[in-house]
Formats: sequence, C-alpha cells, structure tokens
Amino acid sequence: MMYTRIFTGLVLLAVLSVVGLAQQTPPVKTHLKVGDPAPDFTLRATDGKQYKLSDFKGKKNVVLAIYVLAFTGG
Amino acid sequence: MSVDSVPANREFAKQLEITFPLLSDFKRTVVKAYGVFNEEQGFGNRATFLIDKEGIIRHIDEGNVAVDPTTVVEACNVLQHKKATP
Repeated sequence: MMYTRIFTGLVLLAVLSVVGLAQQTPPVKTHLKVGDPAPDFTLRATDGKQYKLSDFKGKKNVVLAIYVLAFTGG
Repeated sequence: MSVDSVPANREFAKQLEITFPLLSDFKRTVVKAYGVFNEEQGFGNRATFLIDKEGIIRHIDEGNVAVDPTTVVEACNVLQHKKATP
C-alpha cells in the first residue's frame, strides 16, 4: 500500500515535471524559414548603443539568439 | 536579445559577467517579426537565427534545442567554409 502511494507520487511528480517543462518553453511556430530574408530591426543594447541588423549587411554573419527572460537559465 | 528592458538586461549581464552587449526588444516588435512572440506569456520564445552577410536566414533553432549552441556553431562554420571556398 505504502509502495503504491510512493509510486503514484513519483508518477505524479514525473508528469508534473514534464508539464512544467512544456510550459517553460512552449512550442515555437515561427513563420520564417531558412532562405527567407531576415526582418530588419534596430534595438538598443546594454551598452547604450543602437544596433541595426542591416548595418551588418555585406560585413558580418549575425547570430540572433533570443532568450526567454533575463534571470532565467539558458 | 530578450524582451527585458535595458536596465534589466544590464543587471542580468552584470550577474553573469557577460561582456558583450545584450539587445532589448522591450516593445516586442522583433519577436513578433520573427514569429517567436508568446502572446500568452508576453515574451519571446527561445530561438536562435543565423543570418548571413546578405541578410538571409541560414539556420533556425527553436525551443529547447536553442539552449545548446552546438548546431548553430556548426552552421556558422559551414558559412565560414563557404566564404573561404567560393
């Protein structure tokens, strides 16, 4: 009986963890595809400067990494 | 880049000792343009886009896959290699 309870508890915990993870990073459905032109943007950065994507055209490849929120892992 | 304000990102960078600048998309325009805006939660979902010198998207990582930079680093190397051997 006790083992059954522990087992049920563990299963519940596992399910909740999976649900929690799924909620943390829901599936992303971007309409953009490889080969598409990247939408241009101008954004302010932590150094106080403005960065425009098209300023890098013909100069550098750019990695745009979008993280969920500051103070979260990854 | 995230949807945090510049001051929030500054504090985040300070805590993690990040030396490169972090971009702030506080108005959510860029996450919307890139199709990764999570309307329910109000932030941008995790994603990595590799954009080549011509402004063309060459690689996309979405969701949990984007935590690991390995695939985008590989894609960067492919781009570099293409440049070296036209």
